[in-house]
Amino acid sequence: MSKKIRLLYMEGVSPLRSQTVYHAVAYAMKEDTPNTIIMVSPNAPYVCIGYHQDMQKEVDMEYVQANGLTVLRREVGGGAVFLDNGQLFTQWIFHKSDLPSSLEERFKFYIDPLIATYQALGINANHRPINDVHVNGKKIGGTGAAQMGIAEVVVGSLMYTFDKKTMSKVLKVPSEKMRDKIFESLEAYMTTMTEELGASPDRTMVKDLYMKKVSEALGAEVYEGEWTADEEAMAQEIDARFMSDEWLYQKGRLQQQGVKIHQDVHVVEAAFKSQGGLIRIIARLREGRIDDVAISGDFTLLPSFALGALEQSIRGLSATPETLKSKIEEAYYRLSIQSPGVSPADFTTAIMNAVNPPQPA
Amino acid sequence: MIYYACDIPEDLTYDIEHDVWIRFEGDIATLGLTDVAQTRCGKFAAISFRDIGKKVAQGKTLATIESAKWVGPFPAPFSCEILEVNEAGFAKDILLANKDPYGIGWLVKVQPTNLENERGHLVTGQEAAEKYKVRIQELKVNCLRCID
Repeated sequence: MSKKIRLLYMEGVSPLRSQTVYHAVAYAMKEDTPNTIIMVSPNAPYVCIGYHQDMQKEVDMEYVQANGLTVLRREVGGGAVFLDNGQLFTQWIFHKSDLPSSLEERFKFYIDPLIATYQALGINANHRPINDVHVNGKKIGGTGAAQMGIAEVVVGSLMYTFDKKTMSKVLKVPSEKMRDKIFESLEAYMTTMTEELGASPDRTMVKDLYMKKVSEALGAEVYEGEWTADEEAMAQEIDARFMSDEWLYQKGRLQQQGVKIHQDVHVVEAAFKSQGGLIRIIARLREGRIDDVAISGDFTLLPSFALGALEQSIRGLSATPETLKSKIEEAYYRLSIQSPGVSPADFTTAIMNAVNPPQPA
Repeated sequence: MIYYACDIPEDLTYDIEHDVWIRFEGDIATLGLTDVAQTRCGKFAAISFRDIGKKVAQGKTLATIESAKWVGPFPAPFSCEILEVNEAGFAKDILLANKDPYGIGWLVKVQPTNLENERGHLVTGQEAAEKYKVRIQELKVNCLRCID
């Protein structure tokens, strides 16, 4: 690897530029371009969607428009996220030969200096493979990777704050109950530097610390460099593409299972039409278990308190049909539950539809 | 050849640098990701293809693949025109290439437009097997397939 890494430090650029800068450096990269790290934050909040997402299916456009938020599509994968200047994005644009070829190792290579920075600040951060950073089981940032032109790109952030409430509002979800569950899950499973330290650390100090940790981890000098005319020209080209309707409204192809909170935690929902009525399920899955579940619908279930007891009996169970059905049957017996036209097998099917959505025919 | 669980059928032709396999049938070439490529990429999450009829230069993108870990191009091993894409297959099962990379997991059918001048880097048979042994060792990859 070249022993010098250029740092472009760009706090407070427009939302558009906070995304297009790393695409521009990547697509303008030539053989003699230095490996580059961009540290950038936006001067206004916005919503960023993944490469293959469908904006109109994933984003609550009514909320976004009412609140004057921009929506941008990136050339990196994953889901929709609400971003603001509470995150300092750390974007690496490197030559392929200067990064590990295995993606698992590449993420570790990228995440190690982030962890070292957090740890130097007194935050107990660690790498949750493949590509999350966790603090005591809570996520403090995810990462993504892409190939753009001859460049390999890895992106993530240093998380000062994260507006979980607005994050839960910008997503298009089937019900307000689901939105509440997403917010609860973000509260339970995401953290920030401000939450961990009780106050937001000084940003210049964090930048200098991160540069030092990158330098130590990579054995390379990190210097504050300049944005070139070629990169500016490329950024202008990409600005125009990212603002075009053709780019923003392109057909979505990403097949997602619910909303990912972090590597081990997803909020999912499903409905199942039983003979006795529709069963709706909102569940939070954690490492293959039902961490939390809410059951609703237009079926009849007596005694009236039994629905809560049924939910309680399911929490913590392994998400397999055998385990679920057996526990639900046990609750039916214990509480003398009556539910005309709805059986324990129907509840099991509804929950399993949320856990493993049926494949399209 | 099976090497470190990676299947490299010797009847196919390969662009090893880009991990693309090619099956020539008359004027038409079917292209896909090798076992090594689908393993390194991981489970597909989405794929978008360029339009049928599009002429694509060597090295340029025929499709864009998104996995849980990475987004990147599926590059043309030679200049070509896109004749058919496996969009319907991947719409039914996004893991096709992770399950059967050399069969139903094919990506694109193309007509080469400058093959004579652009086939110098392509290899097949025993030569491909030997070169892949080296590549698999360099990448330290053990291939995996999806079964469901």
